[in-house]
Amino acid sequence: MQVIIFSWEYPPRIVGQLADYVEKLAVQLVKNNEKTWVVTYHDFLTGEYEGPEGVKTFRVTNSVHTHIGVLTWVLTLNQEVERVAANIYYDTKKQIDLIDMHDWHFIPAAVTLKKALNMPFVYSVESLEEHRSHGANSPFNMSIKSIEWLGMFEAGKLVAKSEWMRDEIVRIYKVPTDKIKVISPKSKDWIKDILETYKNVAEGKALK
Amino acid sequence: MSRDLTVMMLTWEFPPRIIGGISPHVYNLSRNLAKNGVKVYVVTCDFPGAPQHENLDGVEVFRIDSYKNPAPDFATWVYLMNVNMQKEAAAIARSIGGKIDVFHAHDWLVATAGIGLKHVFREPFFATIHSTEIGRRNGIHFDYERMIHETEAWLTYEAWKVICCSNYMVSHVQWAFGLPPDKLIMVPNGVNTEVYEKIENNDLSQFRSKFALPEEKIVLFVGRLVHEKGVHVFVNAVPKVLEKNNAKFIIVGNGYMKDQLSVIVKGMGLDHKVLFTGFVDDETLRKLQRCADVSVVPSLFEPFGIVALEAMAAKSPVVVSDTGGLSEIVDHDVDGVKVYTGNPDSFAWGITRVLTDKAYANRLRTNAYKKIQEKYNWNRIAQQTKSIYETVLTEYSKSFWAQKP
Repeated sequence: MQVIIFSWEYPPRIVGQLADYVEKLAVQLVKNNEKTWVVTYHDFLTGEYEGPEGVKTFRVTNSVHTHIGVLTWVLTLNQEVERVAANIYYDTKKQIDLIDMHDWHFIPAAVTLKKALNMPFVYSVESLEEHRSHGANSPFNMSIKSIEWLGMFEAGKLVAKSEWMRDEIVRIYKVPTDKIKVISPKSKDWIKDILETYKNVAEGKALK
Repeated sequence: MSRDLTVMMLTWEFPPRIIGGISPHVYNLSRNLAKNGVKVYVVTCDFPGAPQHENLDGVEVFRIDSYKNPAPDFATWVYLMNVNMQKEAAAIARSIGGKIDVFHAHDWLVATAGIGLKHVFREPFFATIHSTEIGRRNGIHFDYERMIHETEAWLTYEAWKVICCSNYMVSHVQWAFGLPPDKLIMVPNGVNTEVYEKIENNDLSQFRSKFALPEEKIVLFVGRLVHEKGVHVFVNAVPKVLEKNNAKFIIVGNGYMKDQLSVIVKGMGLDHKVLFTGFVDDETLRKLQRCADVSVVPSLFEPFGIVALEAMAAKSPVVVSDTGGLSEIVDHDVDGVKVYTGNPDSFAWGITRVLTDKAYANRLRTNAYKKIQEKYNWNRIAQQTKSIYETVLTEYSKSFWAQKP
């Protein structure tokens, strides 16, 4: 399988827990002989870094430097993610099986790539705006929630890291329970379950 | 290429959604491209009562769900709306088998949607810059404005060619974003002469009597009543024009200067000679333009000056400020009169000249109408645009993007 991972944080740029998790995932995918690309953000602040062997990493940056908030920053970074993902797609002679997209930042890119190039995607949920903003519902929070909703609607499958998160997704976004697969990073079958989910999504059997 | 050239236009406004000049521009360009054998898909924002999909004069129009939740501010709304627009445009392009040859975006309002589509489908991308943030705000003062300015810069960077509607805008855009000169192309705005030809002459005398006495000439101003349109210059020219000619001065439009202007007119004791109509509907406006013995465009700042073209299409002689796009539209003494910007005496001179010399006025009318038909004709503009697409597609065919696996 050939997989592109989208994550807004990736070592050496570590914002929260997601960066290390995504690196661990990429390493395991390579160990299982899956071709793996990571598309992430380049902030030009982190120094030299040698990533794990076998993982191809693309770091994109924003053409628009001045921003009034994280939303406008995200919404103008997505086109660069699309550009790089499309380059991978055409370079591999259109042989990309799916995108594994982590959290909300690159949902617009994943959705367009699905619509345009028929690349399905998995939405791996690390956290939700509802919890990050403690239930605040300003236009800003609502915009992020509407993007999260779009991602959940368009995803082939959602991956939650705990049963609690699965129930929260169901509660907040009314996603059918069987669209969400719970895969704990601590489980011994973690990578096996992930690969099985990828396979189902790539083959269009995601809802099973 | 055996099949028709196919273009996807992205625009945030398209009739019946009309906010500014982009809507009529894209409408006229698209339907005239369609007349010239180009398959046109327009993707635009939805509008109450307008269908999600329709074929309008041969153009496939898709109205997408623009972002409807409350957005933090206008610019963020624009980027959120672009997420939907890009998603829908991608689905439409795929549904027709990815047969889009070029993508064409109008202003930064659809920049992010267009840039993404270019890379995902790997097709040539065009941008028409109708206006710039640095021009609208007379400089960049805040982060909000800088963000929009940088988005515009990015749009022009990603475009294969950048189209502007006047030489003035070409040099402005080149300066604002530091573009290489050969990236810019001037394609003028057009004007629809048919809408004026439709008006029967015998309807006009009765219509005219609602606005002016039979012995009064009509001097017309059309525009927003704001400083940059120079309407105060026009009002200050009134007494001098009346020294030699009996005329009615009709001011069409609204704006923050309206009260101030009526005070000036009252102070002159010329209340009975100057008429403020406020906004009028399209038909009334066109009839007024047909009736006008002279149309005046006294703008202090004017990127293009479509109102001068409309007057010329209505066969009304024009007196314009020698500035911006107006300088390019009018040839002095040939198809109109150019006078000193911001100078009421100069305007009074120009208006008087047209009103007192009938042969001169008729010569201006004839030449102006000829120019409109030749240079500002939408059909010709569409052909010009089509040939720009074709030239770029030839260049593109040699690029590695064209060799899709």
